[in-house]
Amino acid sequence: MCRLLHTTLSRKGLEEFFDDPKNWGEEKVKSGASWTCQQLRNKSNEDLHKLWYVLLKERNMLLTLEQEAKRQRLPMPSPERLEKVIDSMDALDKVVQEREDALRLLQTGQEKARPGAWRRDIFGRIIWHKFKQWPIPWYLNKRYNRKRFFAMPYVERFVRLRLEKHARIEARKKSLEKKKEKFLQEKFPHLSEAQKSSQV
Amino acid sequence: MRLSALLALASKVTLPRDYRYGMSRPGSLADRRKNPPGTRRRRVAVEPISDEDWHLFCGDTVEILEGKDAGKQGKVVQVIRQRNWVVLEGLNTHYRYVGKTAESRGTMIPSEAPLLHHQVKLVDPVDRKPTEVEWRFTEAGERVRVSSRSGRIIPKPDFPRADGIVPETWTDGPKDTSVEDALERTYVPRLKTLEEEVMEAMGIQETRRHKKVYWY
Repeated sequence: MCRLLHTTLSRKGLEEFFDDPKNWGEEKVKSGASWTCQQLRNKSNEDLHKLWYVLLKERNMLLTLEQEAKRQRLPMPSPERLEKVIDSMDALDKVVQEREDALRLLQTGQEKARPGAWRRDIFGRIIWHKFKQWPIPWYLNKRYNRKRFFAMPYVERFVRLRLEKHARIEARKKSLEKKKEKFLQEKFPHLSEAQKSSQV
Repeated sequence: MRLSALLALASKVTLPRDYRYGMSRPGSLADRRKNPPGTRRRRVAVEPISDEDWHLFCGDTVEILEGKDAGKQGKVVQVIRQRNWVVLEGLNTHYRYVGKTAESRGTMIPSEAPLLHHQVKLVDPVDRKPTEVEWRFTEAGERVRVSSRSGRIIPKPDFPRADGIVPETWTDGPKDTSVEDALERTYVPRLKTLEEEVMEAMGIQETRRHKKVYWY
């Protein structure tokens, strides 16, 4: 097929934000299933790298389509395509993270990628403080030194009150569980025999 | 928070704690009309059945034990696990009007009412009688439903996929990966990160030196 007119769009590369012109105006567009984690685990790192950008461009195209459909107040043709692309990208991210985690555990033994430490904040809580990257050491950093990683003595009372609050919440949950069990026993008496037989 | 996560949160349907599951899909127009925000209905007792013990699937033939259509056999079309409900095709129906306007009554259609899991029984495939079913393992190690009376295996029925794909009559579109390419194994485990491998493959040399940063 010879093209007599040459659109400027193709030279700038913007046509990748839009679907194949054959699909413009269609009500439904056929699409396959999303990539599963197991399928992605069999692929090499270069393949995953290429696939990520292919999926990214497809996602951008579908998001443009979604926004345009909202603007025109029309239903988007086949919105499940976007969900499938998002699922595939999440699965890819998960697989890459798994590989990175495995390598890091093997080589260094570190469980977390980002360094951190358990510290007590000014409210007396023990929190996992995630480290940030700074260009200057901590003793020269004005903003960092304004943060207090210690609790004054008057905070101990509030720590005790917080413990009590958590204890009460746990106790309430437990008693709710017991009440639910009792209610279910009344309604479905055969449950207890089934449980006992399955445990034995 | 990441923008994609924020958008996903906005589209996800959050149901109230004591939401009562009905025949309509939660979040649909009909459900929002029936249960507007702030609706509090009496809680229904639902017998807790674990996913391993549940034996009724879409596409199974079951026989109704009690109710209007007792004794009839039908195919399961929908399973609502939250209420232990099973909806059969064309059975246990009541009639209602659809497409009602101010002037006309609309068209009367039969609409199926759900049945609880103990009001139906799976049907033995060979002698077509209702049987109790147990989960047992085959010689191969597969977990299958076996009828207690005759010991025959009841296979899991074929039901069309929710996304409408029929694997037998599928042709790949221009953007789909072919089956061989998707299943091809190209992964060779090596002690290199993805970034290092990609840089090797693309021939990128990193000559920049990493400046000292402090982590705290």
